[in-house]
Amino acid sequence: MTLASCLILSAAVLCVGIYGLLTRKQAVAMLLSIELMANSANMVFASYGHFRGGPSAQVFVLFALAITVAEVAVGLALVMLLYRRHGDTALDLASEARQ
Amino acid sequence: MSAVTLGLIATFAPLAAALLLWALVPLRHRGAPAAWVTLLGSVIALAASVKLVIDRLGGAPDVRTTIPWIEERGRAMAELGVQLDGVSVPMLVIVCLVALCVQLFSVAYMHDEPPRAFGRYFTLHALFLFSMNVVVVSPNLLQLFAGWELVGLTSYLLIGFYFAKPSAAQAAVKAFWMTKLADMGFLFGLLVLYVNTGGFEWTAVPGTAIATWVTALLFLAVVGKSAQFPLHIWLPDAMEGPTPVSALLHAATMVAAGVFLVVRADPLFAQAPATREVMLWIGASTAVFAAGLALVQKDIKKVLAFSTCSQLGYMVAALGAGQAFAGFFHLGTHAFFKALLFLAAGSVIHAVHSNSLDDMGGLRKKLPLTTAAFVIGALSLAGVPGFAGFFSKDLVLGALEGKASWVPWAMLMGSAFLTAFYMGRVVIKAFWGAESEKAAHAHEGGLAMTGPLVALALPSLGAGFLGGWLATQVRAEYHLHLGLTPIAASAMALLGIGAAIMVFGKGGQAPLVGTLEKLDAFSLVDKTWAGAYRIGLLGVSSLAGWIDRYLIDGLMNFTGWAALEGGASARKLQTGLVRDYAMLVVVGVLVLVLIGVLR
Amino acid sequence: MTWADFDPGFTLISLIVVVSAFFVVRAQNMIHAVLWLGLTLLGTAAFYARLNAPFLAGVQVLTYVGGIVTLMIFGVMVTRRHESLEAEAATVAPERGLIFASAIFVMLSVVMWRSAATIPSPAPVASSADLARVLLNEYLIAFEALSLLLLAAIVGAVVLARRRDLETSPQGPVVPQATEVQP
Repeated sequence: MTLASCLILSAAVLCVGIYGLLTRKQAVAMLLSIELMANSANMVFASYGHFRGGPSAQVFVLFALAITVAEVAVGLALVMLLYRRHGDTALDLASEARQ
Repeated sequence: MSAVTLGLIATFAPLAAALLLWALVPLRHRGAPAAWVTLLGSVIALAASVKLVIDRLGGAPDVRTTIPWIEERGRAMAELGVQLDGVSVPMLVIVCLVALCVQLFSVAYMHDEPPRAFGRYFTLHALFLFSMNVVVVSPNLLQLFAGWELVGLTSYLLIGFYFAKPSAAQAAVKAFWMTKLADMGFLFGLLVLYVNTGGFEWTAVPGTAIATWVTALLFLAVVGKSAQFPLHIWLPDAMEGPTPVSALLHAATMVAAGVFLVVRADPLFAQAPATREVMLWIGASTAVFAAGLALVQKDIKKVLAFSTCSQLGYMVAALGAGQAFAGFFHLGTHAFFKALLFLAAGSVIHAVHSNSLDDMGGLRKKLPLTTAAFVIGALSLAGVPGFAGFFSKDLVLGALEGKASWVPWAMLMGSAFLTAFYMGRVVIKAFWGAESEKAAHAHEGGLAMTGPLVALALPSLGAGFLGGWLATQVRAEYHLHLGLTPIAASAMALLGIGAAIMVFGKGGQAPLVGTLEKLDAFSLVDKTWAGAYRIGLLGVSSLAGWIDRYLIDGLMNFTGWAALEGGASARKLQTGLVRDYAMLVVVGVLVLVLIGVLR
Repeated sequence: MTWADFDPGFTLISLIVVVSAFFVVRAQNMIHAVLWLGLTLLGTAAFYARLNAPFLAGVQVLTYVGGIVTLMIFGVMVTRRHESLEAEAATVAPERGLIFASAIFVMLSVVMWRSAATIPSPAPVASSADLARVLLNEYLIAFEALSLLLLAAIVGAVVLARRRDLETSPQGPVVPQATEVQP
């Protein structure tokens, strides 16, 4: 296990997340993809923390975790609003921002 | 208490009152309590300055204490402090006494104002007294300049006290504009002095050439502040302010600051004979010119305003003749009798609700005390022997004896006659003769009005006898001698009064008056300035306006138009679909990573 | 790299993470997708454990697997369109996503490979005690700010979820006022 292999693993997870973000229609599914991407970022932090030493990197992972939780809470609340309004969670329906 | 402490108390007690009123808005808006705060501040200041005089009578020495200000590399750029000597201590008493009288008078005079305006009025009065005392006690020209600008500010605010009235607002702006124009001279004079001597001291010896430059520039400021020809045009308009304000600022104290400056900076002016020559002529011409104009005014306050111009001309001429003490003495007596005249005029205006002399007449019976006060002031102003004005005017005229081939002396003699003549006119028109319609219901004001009149009438009667003491204070020579000048001056005063009784006593008009009215020299000067203003300032402004409207606004409009058009086209990019936005973010990431790869 | 460097544990973890992540984005059933996400996150926890970060692994299991996955399942359930348990997850334009994702992967790999070459060997391990000390000393303000953020997020989520003015009216979606403005 080298730093390079760890980083490439997280890059792979990130790209799978990007793929999901670009192809999914459902808001919840897009949120899942975003979770994957956030997770990959945490993995990069943890890898560097392991290979360079020191606790700071892990602290940042903890912070990032908490922020992700906050993001999911608000995101899901928005998804519920969307659902109540359109009866569906397909984000394509929420295109009022255009006007 | 030490002299410095007393000086600081005299200066800062009014400031404390002003700050208190400024900070405690409810107190200021209540009106009457604000007046009490200001009066208290003035009483403390007066008490401190009276104590200073008593100490000096007991032989206290001159005091000069300064603290460094703006230190740089161990050397102070300037100093702030207090200088208490034979010039500043009597001046402090004069300023504080007149201010207290005027403030007391104002309590009655401004009684009908709404409480908020009343409070504002007294706040400004307290601020003015502080500013004036800063001028008086300042130990160098820089601090004097600071106080000078402060009194200019309070003058502007008080002239524009009835700011809802367009003429008052205009007069305030005009006064500000003219005096600021002149104050540029002060500023540049200070700069020249600092560059050449490294300080702001009036005792500096920079050599004749530099001294001439500095004093000429300072004198420009004096011309503006003390309303000398041709910058005098703001003073008559300043009569738009409340009458007590005119009494305090535009007659007794503030306009005299210019004279005070020259008295202070006398060592500098002594090195510049050329400047003194100019001062002599300007002072003498202003004295005659303004006296002539005072003759034709219908507004009682305007008569007094031009009279102030004229008397300031006397002082400036005396300073120009190198007799600083004569100018200073006249400043002191003039402060009392002119404040008295203005307050008496205020009492009259309060009684008949009009400024116009035509609305007055026969007030002698209705307002006996005011009449007495006004007559005392007028006799003092005219220079009738025995009254305060006689002694100082005599000293001024004596200073001019033989100067510049007697011409300025003759001019001042002529204006002494005119002074007695126009004051006679005012007294007769306002207090004698037929009773006018408006005068029928006139009555004396309360104690707050009559008290200050009495308090100022006493020094107007007797201040002349203090000349000897004042002279010892400033170490000048002073002796009353029975020579050509006093006799001629007394004759002029009596002749003027006699002529006034002859001409106006029967309700007639002087033939001279009609001619002068046609000439209307005052409005000529006014028009010249208005023309200069129109061509200079308005011309530049309209050019700037054109550039602003077409070049700068054009650029702005073009920018706005371009942004709108660009936005309209960019709008097509916005599909409103979240996926497309995510897509764009991904493209952005791709570009960033690509940069990382290629680097 | 040679075969001597081969690390079976890491390889297994990588496989689990990547494959389950792939199913997260491809599963047709939303519930399944969330469960696959749970597996990915568990794999990540194992990854953290192998990186000598046991505390991180524990937190990962607790918050992500325990918290977020549960929340997501709630989200899917609440926003189901039909009564059936099948929540279908439609996909669009898979080619475009594939092209962009692989392009980023290739380039990111290059960058990361270069970056990793500068740091050869693992450094001394940081214990959980170190972590705690740093968290509550050096990063105390950030830590407290984060708790505020969480509070704000909770309040925000509640407010948003309780909002009634954006609900569907009988005539169709309520259109906000701002949309009426013409350019």
